[in-house]
Amino acid sequence: MKSALYGFRSIVAKEWLHIQRDSTTLVFALIVPLLQLILFGYAIDFNVKHVPAAVVNMDGSPASLNYLHQLENTQYIDIVGSLATPHQAEEALRRNTVQVAIIIPPDFAQRYNTANPPTVKVLEDGSDSQISAAASNAFLTRPNTTRPGTVDARFNVLFNPEARTQIFTIPGLVCVLLQLTTVSLTSFSLVREREQGTLEQLMVSPVGRLGLMLGKVTPYLLLGMTEMGAILFMGWLIFNVSVAGSLVMLMILAVPFVLAALSLGLFISTVAQNQAQAMQMTMLTTMPSILLSGYIVPRETLPGPLYIVSDVLPVTHFISICRGIVVRGATLPDILPHLYSLLVITLILITASTLRFQKSVG
Amino acid sequence: MLAIEIKNLTRRFGEFTAVDNVSFNVPKGTIFGFLGPNGSGKTTCIRMLCGLLEPTSGTANVNGFDIIRQPEEIKRTIGYLNQAFSLYRDLTVEENLNFFGGIYGLKGQRLSQRRNEVIELVGLGNYLQRRSGQLSGGWKQRLALAAALIHEPELVFLDEPTAGIDPVARRELWDLLFDLAGQGKTLFVTTHYMDEAERCNEIAYIYLSRLMVHGTPTDLKALPEVTPTGTKRVAVASSHPAQALSLLKRQEFALDATLVEAEIHILMPMNIEDSAVVNTLHRGGMPDASVRPMEPSLEDVFVTLTRSLANK
Repeated sequence: MKSALYGFRSIVAKEWLHIQRDSTTLVFALIVPLLQLILFGYAIDFNVKHVPAAVVNMDGSPASLNYLHQLENTQYIDIVGSLATPHQAEEALRRNTVQVAIIIPPDFAQRYNTANPPTVKVLEDGSDSQISAAASNAFLTRPNTTRPGTVDARFNVLFNPEARTQIFTIPGLVCVLLQLTTVSLTSFSLVREREQGTLEQLMVSPVGRLGLMLGKVTPYLLLGMTEMGAILFMGWLIFNVSVAGSLVMLMILAVPFVLAALSLGLFISTVAQNQAQAMQMTMLTTMPSILLSGYIVPRETLPGPLYIVSDVLPVTHFISICRGIVVRGATLPDILPHLYSLLVITLILITASTLRFQKSVG
Repeated sequence: MLAIEIKNLTRRFGEFTAVDNVSFNVPKGTIFGFLGPNGSGKTTCIRMLCGLLEPTSGTANVNGFDIIRQPEEIKRTIGYLNQAFSLYRDLTVEENLNFFGGIYGLKGQRLSQRRNEVIELVGLGNYLQRRSGQLSGGWKQRLALAAALIHEPELVFLDEPTAGIDPVARRELWDLLFDLAGQGKTLFVTTHYMDEAERCNEIAYIYLSRLMVHGTPTDLKALPEVTPTGTKRVAVASSHPAQALSLLKRQEFALDATLVEAEIHILMPMNIEDSAVVNTLHRGGMPDASVRPMEPSLEDVFVTLTRSLANK
């Protein structure tokens, strides 16, 4: 073991000098992901607001007007006109002049305060699920009146009552950006040594392979953790996403994830012959991490084989952990299954890339 | 005492045999030239001797350690200088030396002492804070040599150390190598330069994966295959050497002819008189030609051996 680790400290010190010398690596490592955070944070906004709506008010009472006013205050819908009959409302939807129609029954005011609440019919244009979801949000987020059982008691929103997209996207984005950065940093680092012939020089020295590998990974682990802190800070600063649970726990649990990503980078570096190849392979690992991890597409919608693929991606489990801690304030027992999966995957990745690495440099 | 002891070393890559049953010894304290055309198996052989590659069969001892069972011990006691500059270009001279000292286990005062010694040896004192990528070719090789020597190896492998550097830097590097050999170090050098081969104490010549000859330059020049029975080597001086070469090459008696400086070196049958050569040149309009007997050069040795083997 001692012999395998031989040279570890020298490699760490050397890598640190490389990082200092190569300021583009630092910029890449620290600033670019933050820019991506801002861009994606604003760009990926699933919230649709101000959906045009028509009203068929068969009651016309102050109570019904008040109810409509509350709906409009959510900003999810804009009432752009009123119609005489439900039939006209359907026509308006079909013509696409409005995307939502609200039909207030004649007995609205009469039943508003009673145990037998009025049934408000909502017609939604289902052709765009995001729009109908937004319209539904109007009814979900209408401020509760003091009286119980008024109109819509079926909905029960536990978290994120404003349905802010960033609350869901930012924790996922943190994970995806962290992976992208760490994978590319390590894969480049070793491929560069191969290209410059220094790898051969190292192999005729007594440097242990484990010492070389860990020596390369350690400085980037530190960079990765700094990066994670920076992204979380920016997410809080710009998008007001704060960590509901324990920040310390989140940072500790990020270590196995970053190690998994670094191992992946090391694995790429054993396959890639030059830096351009390393870049392409990094992109190859990034695509499934973005599309299959549950970051953008809910995992439940994935077809069977892809669901399995998504299960073996370290980022899938780290996104679950990250969202759990950031959004729901999850504690360790809540996320234990994901932590176990993450640890197993990380262990397999480290072992595989170490073996592959030893073969390729030997 | 032997620095390297090679017995029947063989390495195959699939169907291809890169090193075929090679055996020779390298005495301690010598400058040993390892020669051969590109692709003849030199690098594979060196990789095995450095403990990077296991032989398919055969054995070798390097500094008394077995290349199969003790590769780590070998790595601690050898230095390695690659033909391509393989230090970190973005690190300074001093940082490179610190790093290479570090991976050989040097630290603290011992490291700075050794660093200063190798810096003094190669004369890099004025460039300590210079990024190594900004050094000229000759200085880069000096730095590489310093890095290869920092852990005081007994044996240094130099794989085409002077490829692509200018003549002055080449000469200075060889002066350094002589110093090192004088201190008792063994230098295992590959090169394509014949003048460098002439400087070696001993030479091994490998061709088509096989060891063809091994000995001192003098031994090799005296080999019967180089100047076959019934042939002799002469040098022809002429004021129009290029013209003379082209004329002589067309003569039947010229078994081999090449131009070295202002002289034409000819391999020709013993029974042809030197005057026949002079007469040929006279008739060709070159009256000032003269002929003297000569020893084969190392280039003659390798060209003759390689051709005769290629013809078989």
